[in-house]
Amino acid sequence: MQNFIQQTMNGVTYAGLLFLLGSGFTLIFGLMRIVNLAHGSTYLVGGYIGYTVMAATNNFILALLAGAVSMGIFGVILERGLMRQVRGQPISELLLTMGVSFVMGDLALAIFGGNPLSVRMPGGLDKSTLIGPITYPNERFFILGVAIVVAVILYVVIGRTRAGAMIRAGVDDREMVDALGIPIKRVFTAVFILGTFLAGLAGVLGASLLTLYPGADSEILTYALVVVIVGGMGSLKGAVIGSLVVGLLDNYGKAYFPELAYFSLFAPMVLILLWRPQGLFGKSVA
Amino acid sequence: MVALVVAAIIPQLGSSFYVSLTLSVLIYGLLAISLDVLAGYTGLISLGHASFLGVGAYGIAYALKIGLDPIPAIGYALVAVLVTALLFGLVAVRVRELTFVILTLALGQIVWGLAYRWVSVSGGDNGLPVPGRPSFGPFDFSADSSYYYLVLVVFVLCVLVMWLVVHSSFGLSLRGIRDNEARMRTLGYNVVVHKYLAFIISAMFGGVAGVLFAFYNLYVSPTMIDFAHNGTVVQMVVVGGLGTLWGPLVGAGVIVFFQQFVSIYVPRWETVLGVIFILTVLFARGGLWGGLANLGRWLRVRAGEPPTSGASTSQALTEVDAASGSGD
Repeated sequence: MQNFIQQTMNGVTYAGLLFLLGSGFTLIFGLMRIVNLAHGSTYLVGGYIGYTVMAATNNFILALLAGAVSMGIFGVILERGLMRQVRGQPISELLLTMGVSFVMGDLALAIFGGNPLSVRMPGGLDKSTLIGPITYPNERFFILGVAIVVAVILYVVIGRTRAGAMIRAGVDDREMVDALGIPIKRVFTAVFILGTFLAGLAGVLGASLLTLYPGADSEILTYALVVVIVGGMGSLKGAVIGSLVVGLLDNYGKAYFPELAYFSLFAPMVLILLWRPQGLFGKSVA
Repeated sequence: MVALVVAAIIPQLGSSFYVSLTLSVLIYGLLAISLDVLAGYTGLISLGHASFLGVGAYGIAYALKIGLDPIPAIGYALVAVLVTALLFGLVAVRVRELTFVILTLALGQIVWGLAYRWVSVSGGDNGLPVPGRPSFGPFDFSADSSYYYLVLVVFVLCVLVMWLVVHSSFGLSLRGIRDNEARMRTLGYNVVVHKYLAFIISAMFGGVAGVLFAFYNLYVSPTMIDFAHNGTVVQMVVVGGLGTLWGPLVGAGVIVFFQQFVSIYVPRWETVLGVIFILTVLFARGGLWGGLANLGRWLRVRAGEPPTSGASTSQALTEVDAASGSGD
């Protein structure tokens, strides 16, 4: 029983990390129809930058901000500079992000090397707390907390503000929003930046929860994609549920059925897709 | 034709290094061309295609391990590929175009993950050895140069079949689906069945490449089907030319060239390849093959021939895009 609680907590914490990645990805896709395959690389590079800042200053908050903000800035450059060139051509956009991920991955290897790197959270966060029958690391609570805070902020901003309404309208009908005179291009850039910012943030958190190494980008990207496939493209609610599903199933799978670990992800994903090809909360399109 | 003669001569030129290199170009070229059937002609870009090479390669390695003779082992491997394609295809063809891309990525990762974790079957990260190449009657293929001819023959046969497929009316329907799926549906075509068939055909030839690969490399491991390799196959198709059938072979040649030669002089050759890939997507839609075709057309026009009215290969990528852009 104790082990089960621990595995569940692990799954939920991992779900938190996945949500940070999946939410940005699903918004970028829902609004801009861009499958951002560079999302994993953004996570990795943001994490590496956070690691570097942490190693230099030993200030974890600074490292978090550095990772997130640097990737936000990168998002502006990527969206304005490259993505604009192929606006409205989904396949080219996708291939472009793929090319960017190749370049980022190789440059990251060149700059940060091939050894796994990790970050230790400072002070109290490095310890564990006794909760009921188990002792659980504080850093995981922190990550979960960050994810919940972000989820709440996103919910409020997207659900309750005017800017959020523009985003939701854009996800539903891009052309109409443009026709209504709303500066859709700025909304695009804003959402893209939000996505890369969150990915960078997730990267620094991932540096402590997991480790950073060449290949971590494609691994985490796969998980984020399954989250979004299961949850439905463009749906924040879907990202929440999707991350929980993926996080829990992956952890249970690794803990109880290690030989078939990916199957614990695969089977539900396939079943859900057979039943609802658009994901749990996705829009069905003819 | 010229290329065939050239290809046939290569083993005679002596150096076994170049034979081995051309072998890998042929095998990966076959894989890339099989992907082109799906991606360039049907508009479904699969980021998990290397997994079919993987299933084919692991299939034969495992079959030989459990003691099957070479010929039944090949059958076993191909059946494994077929079953995988049938299963994956069921889910893959029912989703939207862009979801297809990320779904195939996930499926490809699943195959990789299985190769890594299902140690009892796949040997985990130790991989599986392939105990030598089979001999058929009087032909012995243990030497690279003789195996080369077998691969060349298989390659030409496979590409010939694929060429016939994409130039048949079925192939035309696929292109129709690529260009405007909604219209094809209203015209009464069973789009899902077409996509499913294209998926399976593409996968089967990928599996053939896998069997060839296993006998070439004499060793199978999960690295061969990791995310990077899946991406590399797509690179080969795009840089070579989407929807051109021959382009991906050129693309395979370019990338192997980079891997083997450029890597010696340029440590960040992968970055360079990535940049070339980006530039191709931005500016050179038809890839290298499209560029060559355009050059050929330009030369012919200069020589006085009237320009042909057929669609240029560089339209392939533009057409896929325009279709998905307007089909929103």
